[in-house]
Amino acid sequence: MYIIKNAYLNIKRNISRNILISIIIIVIAAACTVTLAIRESAEKIIKSYEEENKIEASITLNRESLMNSFREANKTQEEMINSFNSIENITEEEIENYGSSEYLNDFYYTIETSVNAKDITEATDSLVKETTETTTETQTRTENFPGGGFPGGDHGGSSRTTTDKKTTTKKTEKIFNEKLDNGAFTLVGYNSYNDMKEFIDGTFVITDGEVSSDFESNSCVISEEIASLNNLSVGDTITIVDPKDSKKTYEFTISGIYKEEKSETTNASMFTNSANKIITNVTQVKNILNANSDLNSTITPTFILKDEASVDKFIEEVKNKGLNEYYEVTTNLDEINQGSESIKNVRVFATTFLIITLIIGGVVLIILNIINIRERKYEIGVLRTIGMKKSMVSLQFAFELLIVCLFGLCLGASIGSACSVNVANNLLANEISAAQSKYDNIGNNFGVAGSNMKDYTRNNKSFGVAEVSKINTINAVVDFKVLIELLGIGILLTLIGSLGSMIAISRFSPLNILKERS
Amino acid sequence: MNVLELKNVSYRYNDAPKDEYVLKNINLKFKKGKVYAIKGKSGSGKTTLLSLISGLEKKYEGEILYKDKELKKYDLDKYRSNDVGIIFQSYNLLPHLTLKENIILSMDISKSKIKDKDIVIKRLMNEVGLDESLINRRILRLSGGEQQRVAIARSLSYNPDIILADEPTGNLDHETENEIMKIFKKLSKEHNKCVIIVTHSKNVCELVDEVYELKKEKKGSI
Repeated sequence: MYIIKNAYLNIKRNISRNILISIIIIVIAAACTVTLAIRESAEKIIKSYEEENKIEASITLNRESLMNSFREANKTQEEMINSFNSIENITEEEIENYGSSEYLNDFYYTIETSVNAKDITEATDSLVKETTETTTETQTRTENFPGGGFPGGDHGGSSRTTTDKKTTTKKTEKIFNEKLDNGAFTLVGYNSYNDMKEFIDGTFVITDGEVSSDFESNSCVISEEIASLNNLSVGDTITIVDPKDSKKTYEFTISGIYKEEKSETTNASMFTNSANKIITNVTQVKNILNANSDLNSTITPTFILKDEASVDKFIEEVKNKGLNEYYEVTTNLDEINQGSESIKNVRVFATTFLIITLIIGGVVLIILNIINIRERKYEIGVLRTIGMKKSMVSLQFAFELLIVCLFGLCLGASIGSACSVNVANNLLANEISAAQSKYDNIGNNFGVAGSNMKDYTRNNKSFGVAEVSKINTINAVVDFKVLIELLGIGILLTLIGSLGSMIAISRFSPLNILKERS
Repeated sequence: MNVLELKNVSYRYNDAPKDEYVLKNINLKFKKGKVYAIKGKSGSGKTTLLSLISGLEKKYEGEILYKDKELKKYDLDKYRSNDVGIIFQSYNLLPHLTLKENIILSMDISKSKIKDKDIVIKRLMNEVGLDESLINRRILRLSGGEQQRVAIARSLSYNPDIILADEPTGNLDHETENEIMKIFKKLSKEHNKCVIIVTHSKNVCELVDEVYELKKEKKGSI
């Protein structure tokens, strides 16, 4: 206790020197507060971004691997299609199995099936193969030539055998994608806006109407091409026909028309064509599938991973559980990292600045403290002579610096916190603007006005992106965590600053000091 | 019983040649209740001897026994803060502290458990002839004689067995020197302290119980 009291008395005694040290620490603390606040804010935005943009994995057909294997085997197109048909679809059981992984937070899937539709022209990716078969029939006919004959013949006449009939048969064989053999259109069912990645990432954009928020209704969204080809518009009704039982029909109301902005692929087709995609909800697709067990369906799973570290582990686990070699687990990790790259750069910059500030601050404090120690050698000598241990003398000097540091930190933190909000907001303005723009764009993709978007959220998620209204200004940047970090910095600076004095005190001989004094 | 005993103590500086000793084969015995003077010319090793006895220097040859135990085996910081009081010619007080603060600091370092330190300080001040009104005065505002008295009071504050004084009256006038010597005599007789004074003052040597002389010519022989 007397150490602290003595430290306090010494601070009072050397008030001008300690004011100088305080000013240095105030500057360091203010710089650190601003830096920590920016870092903290950046981390919050990144965290928010990562929370809203979950790392997702899906199982997709590895077309590159597939095509390579085809090329290596010199397969014809027919063989390629047949090989492709032999690849089994991912089943619901498999997805459930993969979904039980400890590396996942959640998983969901979309179901799609092929259907026909009345009076609608469709695109096709089937192959019609025409083969020609020629059959030659040989008919033996003997002709006798009276009175003649070949030279040297024994007969009075001659005979000859001839073939005179050829039959050519043309065969037309349709080589088609069996996964789509049931119909011309792909009917895709989603559970919620959050599952509709094509609309979130801008692959599909609603040009008229909207994606209905009722995920049980018989509404659907069709492509611009189909709408144009068949003169369909929002509000019209289309009739979906079971491709294996044309008696089974289903009425759908068009709630929106979309266009494809980017190319996309699906597991169910080698040659994707989103023009034939009719988008509805899982309930409606299941109704159709339940009504006819002969219908094929494709399930596209989406696995929500816990964190970045889980990605490789999950992929490994899925492979170990027997994922077909032609399928691969793909994730959106690169996209997520890309999305938060600039804000991460701000964080790195803040961290670098913090380290530089601490190094400079630490060096200045060490120098000041060494000067301080040299000037107070006599005091150290007296204290050591009357029996104060080296460790206690060092502790007293450390306490002096700590008290000054804490005072400087409090003032510096106050100044820093006042500046940090503006500084952080200015630095992160571009990020906020980009996020706002992204949020608005997604709303447009769904055909839903920005202010109404919240009505269509699920679990407080708005289209899988952060709700920008929460981060349009940096709130509470100097929070408890920052204060704790500042305290840590204060202790660190004290230790660094005291290091020189500790070394000096341990090397001082009290006798020599007092001799010098004498 | 000897409170302090030196047996064949020799000392040379680190950078000195191997056979060049400041002190060579010193044998001394000190008892409680007596005042000793160690005299000698400048450079004879008086202060060096004091630094060895006070535990400020421990690279000596031979033995220094405090209460029959080798000094090197003690925690020397604790020895200086509890068992031996050191008084210097230049007082070695902390000038930024008051008289009271200087003494309290010393008591704190010795981990004194005295609750009412003010009473003890006033008693010590009376013993060394300091006016109580000076208790909160800063050291720099005290005279040389007063500062030396404070140094003595400080060295007594934790009730040590031995008082070591290095030229305690070197900066003082003859009258004050006598007063200080009276205090030392009183401490030895009334408080049973062993007082060892390093001095070259004839007056001091006349006032003490025993005098040891260090002779430079013989490198510390007595």
